[in-house]
Amino acid sequence: MNQDERLSILKDILLTDEREYAQKVEEKLKIVEELVNKQNQLSDRVNPIIEERLNDFVIEIPKTLGPVITEALKSEIKNSQDAVVEALFPIIGKMIKKYIQQEMQILSEQINAKMNNAFSFEALKRKFKSKRTGVSEADLMLQELVHPIIEQIMVIEKGSGIIISEYSKTQAIDEDMVSGMLTAIKSFAEDAFEKENQELNYIEYDSFHIHLQNFSDYYIAVIISGSYNALFKSQLEDKLLDFAQNSINKQDIINRDSFSEKLKKHFQ
Amino acid sequence: MKVSKKIVLLGYFGVGKSSLIRRFVENTFSEDYKVSIGVHIFKKNITIPEKGTDVSLVIWDLEGNDDITNTRLSYLLGTHAFIYVYDVTRPATYKNLENEINFLKEKQKNTPITVVGNKEDLVTKAYLKQNSNDFGSLTDFYVSAKTGDKVNFLFSNLAEALIK
Repeated sequence: MNQDERLSILKDILLTDEREYAQKVEEKLKIVEELVNKQNQLSDRVNPIIEERLNDFVIEIPKTLGPVITEALKSEIKNSQDAVVEALFPIIGKMIKKYIQQEMQILSEQINAKMNNAFSFEALKRKFKSKRTGVSEADLMLQELVHPIIEQIMVIEKGSGIIISEYSKTQAIDEDMVSGMLTAIKSFAEDAFEKENQELNYIEYDSFHIHLQNFSDYYIAVIISGSYNALFKSQLEDKLLDFAQNSINKQDIINRDSFSEKLKKHFQ
Repeated sequence: MKVSKKIVLLGYFGVGKSSLIRRFVENTFSEDYKVSIGVHIFKKNITIPEKGTDVSLVIWDLEGNDDITNTRLSYLLGTHAFIYVYDVTRPATYKNLENEINFLKEKQKNTPITVVGNKEDLVTKAYLKQNSNDFGSLTDFYVSAKTGDKVNFLFSNLAEALIK
C-alpha cells in the first residue's frame, strides 16, 4: 500500500459523513428547485382562470347576493327597529335641525328686511290692514312670506260622506276614501261632544290644514298648505259662502258635473 | 257614468265583517283576529257592463257591537245599503237578529238591508237547515270570508241593486 492509497483510506474514514450530508442537501435543493419551477408553471396556467373567475364574481355578486343581502337587511331593520331608530335619530335629528336653522335664518332675514322698511308704503298698508282686520302685523307678515296654497277642494255630502265634487291642481289622494274618513271623524267629534248645532270646522294633519265649511246638505273641505291664519280663514270663508250662495242651487247637488264645473270656475 | 254608494257593515264582534271586506277589496284572508275600533273605510270600484256604469263602493266597516243600539247613529246617516253580518257558528251573534234588523229599519227607513251568515265553511248544509228557525228566514246569503264563497257575488249583487 503506497502513500496515496493510505491517504484515500484516511479520507474515507474522516469525510464519509460530510459527503453523505452534502449529497442529501444537494438532493433536497433539487427537489425545491423543481417545486419552484413547477409552481411558476402552474401559476402561469392557473392565474388567468382565477382572474376570470374573480371578474365573473364581481359581476355576479350584486345579482345573486344583492337580493339576499337586501332581504337580510330589511328583516334585521324590522326586527331591531328601536336600535335602528337609536342609531339614525342623532343623524336625522342633526339634518332636520340644520334644515330648520337654515329656513329660520332665511325667514329671519326676510322679516328683518321688512322691518327695516318700516315706513315703506307696504308697511303702512300692513299696519292699516292689521287695524282693520284685527290680525296681528306679525301674522300678516308671516302670511306674506309663507303663502297659503289651496291644494284641494272637496264638496262632500253630509252623512254619507260621498263626494259630490272635487277640484285640485294635482290629483294625489283618493278623494272617496278621504271624504269618507273626514265624514267619519266629523261624525265622531260632533257625536262625542253631544252638543247640538256644533260642527267640526278644522283639522290639522301633518303640514296640511283642512278647513271645513258646513252647509245644510253638504260641507266643503279645503286642504291648505303653508300659513293658515285668521285673515286667510276669513277670506276663504267669504269665498266659500259666496260660492254656495251665488253659484250653487239644489239642482247642482244632483247634477254633479255642473257642480264640478262651477267649483272649478270659481276657484281656478 | 260613475256613481258612489255608501255601504255599512254591522254585526257583533268577531263575526268577520272586516274579513269579508278584505276578501272583497284585497282578495286576502287572515286567521289572525284584530278587533276593529271606530270605523275603517274601504273602497272598491265595480263595473256593471249592462248598465254602462262604474259603481264606487265606499264601504264603512263599523266596530263590532253586542247591541246595535250602541252604534253611533251618525255613522249610519246617508247609507245606501246595510250588510248585517252574523256568525253561523255562534248563536249569540244571531239570537237578536230580528230586533237588530228592526232597529236598523226604524233608524234608516228605505235603506235596503242584506243579512249575511258568515263562516259557512265551518258548518254543514244539514246544520244550516237544522238552525233555519233561528236565522233562515232573515238570511239572504251564507258566505265564507275564508274560502271567498259568494263574497264577490254579495257585493256585486248589491251594487247592481243600488243602481236599478
